Amino acid sequence: MITFDTSAAAHLLRRLQFGVNPEEIDRAVREGLDATLDRLFTPQPETAEFTASQAALRDAAVATASIQDLKAWWLHRMAGTANPVTEKVTLFWHNHFATSYNKVLSVPMMTAQNDLFRTLGSGSFRQLLTTVARDPAMLVWLDGNANRKRHPNENFAREVMELFALGLGNYTERDIQEAARAFSGWHLREGRFWFNDSQHDSSDKTVFGKTGKFDGQAIINLCLDHPACPRFLAFKLLRTFVVTEPSPAWIDRVAALFTKHDLTFAPVLKEVCRSPEFYGSDVRGTIIKSPVELVLGTLRPLCERIRWPAVRDLSAQLGQDVFAPPSVKGWDGGRQWIHATAWIQRWNFLSDVTGSERYGSLRSEVREAIAQQPHDWVTALFATPLSDTTREVLTKAVPSDRLSLSLSLPEYQLM
Amino acid sequence: MSTNRRDFLKLLGTAGVVSLAGPAPSLWSSALGAEAAKGERVLVLIQMAGGNDGLNTVIPFGDDAYLKARPALAIGKGAALKLNDTLGLHPAMSGFRDLWEASRLAIVQGVGYPKPDRSHFRSMDIWQAAHFSERIPTGWVGRMLDQTVAQTGMAWEAACIGQDKLPLSCLGERVVPPTIQRLEEFRLTSAGRETALVSTAAWKQAVSSSESGSELDFLRRSATSAVTSAERLASLSKTYRSATPYPSSRLAQQLQLVAQMITADLPARVYFVTLDGFDTHSQQLPGHAVLLGELSSAVSAFFADLDEKGRGDSVMLTTFSEFGRRLAENGSLGTDHGAASVLFTVTPAGKGGLYGTAPSLTDLDDGDPKFTTDFRRVYATLLDRWLQRPSQPVLGEAFAPLDFA
Repeated sequence: MITFDTSAAAHLLRRLQFGVNPEEIDRAVREGLDATLDRLFTPQPETAEFTASQAALRDAAVATASIQDLKAWWLHRMAGTANPVTEKVTLFWHNHFATSYNKVLSVPMMTAQNDLFRTLGSGSFRQLLTTVARDPAMLVWLDGNANRKRHPNENFAREVMELFALGLGNYTERDIQEAARAFSGWHLREGRFWFNDSQHDSSDKTVFGKTGKFDGQAIINLCLDHPACPRFLAFKLLRTFVVTEPSPAWIDRVAALFTKHDLTFAPVLKEVCRSPEFYGSDVRGTIIKSPVELVLGTLRPLCERIRWPAVRDLSAQLGQDVFAPPSVKGWDGGRQWIHATAWIQRWNFLSDVTGSERYGSLRSEVREAIAQQPHDWVTALFATPLSDTTREVLTKAVPSDRLSLSLSLPEYQLM
Repeated sequence: MSTNRRDFLKLLGTAGVVSLAGPAPSLWSSALGAEAAKGERVLVLIQMAGGNDGLNTVIPFGDDAYLKARPALAIGKGAALKLNDTLGLHPAMSGFRDLWEASRLAIVQGVGYPKPDRSHFRSMDIWQAAHFSERIPTGWVGRMLDQTVAQTGMAWEAACIGQDKLPLSCLGERVVPPTIQRLEEFRLTSAGRETALVSTAAWKQAVSSSESGSELDFLRRSATSAVTSAERLASLSKTYRSATPYPSSRLAQQLQLVAQMITADLPARVYFVTLDGFDTHSQQLPGHAVLLGELSSAVSAFFADLDEKGRGDSVMLTTFSEFGRRLAENGSLGTDHGAASVLFTVTPAGKGGLYGTAPSLTDLDDGDPKFTTDFRRVYATLLDRWLQRPSQPVLGEAFAPLDFA
């Protein structure tokens, strides 16, 4: 039994979009959980203004081959779209198949990979993994091109097992060495995937105890049919959207959902968001916001006339430079986001939100609403109940300081 | 009392010591008043991230198996900086050669652990946690800091310089060390108000309550630590002068900040810095030379600076990496993930030399040299002998120290 009150609605929206405001919470409560989920998981029409501005930003980035502009385009898209779940899922896969421009060095390839996550990310993981394995950016990123018959390169074969499909402990070093041979000859020509027959090792390989003249696709299929795969996806989904340390029992239940839906992503995410556990007090307010969550989740509800280049630089400075994850493992997330310098930078940003125009302009109605009627905003701003002491401090503060004081609290870093 | 220290205490007087109700962090808040902090032993750790190729760092040019396995990558007798008749340093490491000649460079050979894991992430976690369980919540330095405060009341601290995240090594259950990327980025701005909001009494009251173990508790502890650190470090840059030129590399700049903090007698006893880029799968020779040159010149300037300030004798520096590389080069003029490797310690006490046994290059484990010295023996040496903190409770079992400290 789920009590879908303002607090539960705010929790759901915080996890499925970037930040939340009181009107969105009211609408969700009014419509109820099922209708809200249906709306969030069904494509919604974009506004003409958004469609035009995102196209202009994207075209400029591609035309000038500027990765910096492409980063700004994506952040603008995440904040402005009428389909936030799609962007959250796209970001999820960017972190899962973490590929960096810093090695790929091609704006068209990074753009194509990002589109791929957006188009296929909510659907079948079978199709997604199969496509990613031939994705040009991935072939550059994990040295597919250097994988030749007589000199196998293990980079992709290792990560497809360790980070993409199975997780540590579900394969042997031998499996990786054999699988690497199956991917030999998966090369690039003129920026496209090219099966280079002359560099492909077509001899027998033994992987997961099975022997055959496996090619790369056969290895991908073996990974997809491996019992560890649904469990691994379940862990990643729960960790990103629900709770940092999911229990083994919960992982098993979500793995069963992945099996039921033949590894299709969005229906599993939707069912998880429909389950009573998702609304437990051990789930709400337990995830430390990533820089993108913090920055977009603050600016989208509170500000207008957002300065995207400044926002892009800020997100990178805070440790989440989109299109440039630190390694193939992606961003660790959780407590790893937080350290002393990160605190200083997060506070400096939040202080700028209320005290400067550096990243955008605080909406005047927000400033007034928080000074006059702070209660409505408390549910939107805080994912975790405030202690009596904290409430007292906020109440005693002069009204004009309430918003900035709220944003500076450790509670504000949770979602 | 040195000028630096006087300025620092003055700064303390104005900023005050943050006191919080509940189990507040002691980070950067106590021990500052104690004159005893001056000249205490300090440990600096340099993580060589990516898996350093130990065989092309301390080069066994006298071993045919090395030369045969690496037709394109081997560095020969003529080029290596000779340590003895069979071993030499990479040619880019002249700074380390000078430290070797001054008997301050200890080289530990064949360092690793049983059943080596060739995943960067897993192996780095093993090195940083000094523990083999899958879910490792704390690192070895963090546990040492936790135990030190629990057993002696001494609020020893650590500082991570130039990190974009807190390294697992330094994470304790109670202790969350500050990470300082660059001093100039470590300033609270106040956007129009007189003082930053987080420096006000109201804010400090609002973060004072605590419930143990939750994410919120972690956030409150680390937030308080960050505010206190920022207040302490606010005028640090004005108090430091150095006659020693540092190279312009990132590592050198980070080590200069470490020297600055050591000279100001901040309460950190362990500093952690990283040099990244050692994952040399392809075209290894030029990139590896740049990295080793950066390491060698930065460390050499760091000790020259500390010596000039009379602090060289109280600082020990140790490098580590998650693994070495395979003996045989690959087809891309690089080397793939391996196992055992070498590590360096700059020891002030004239205890330079070779420690441990160089692994055989003909008796291999899946293409990699086998480890001969457990990495936890190095940690035991640093803990028991250098920092004089018992290693057994930190490492979970007893390891025999080496003699470089």
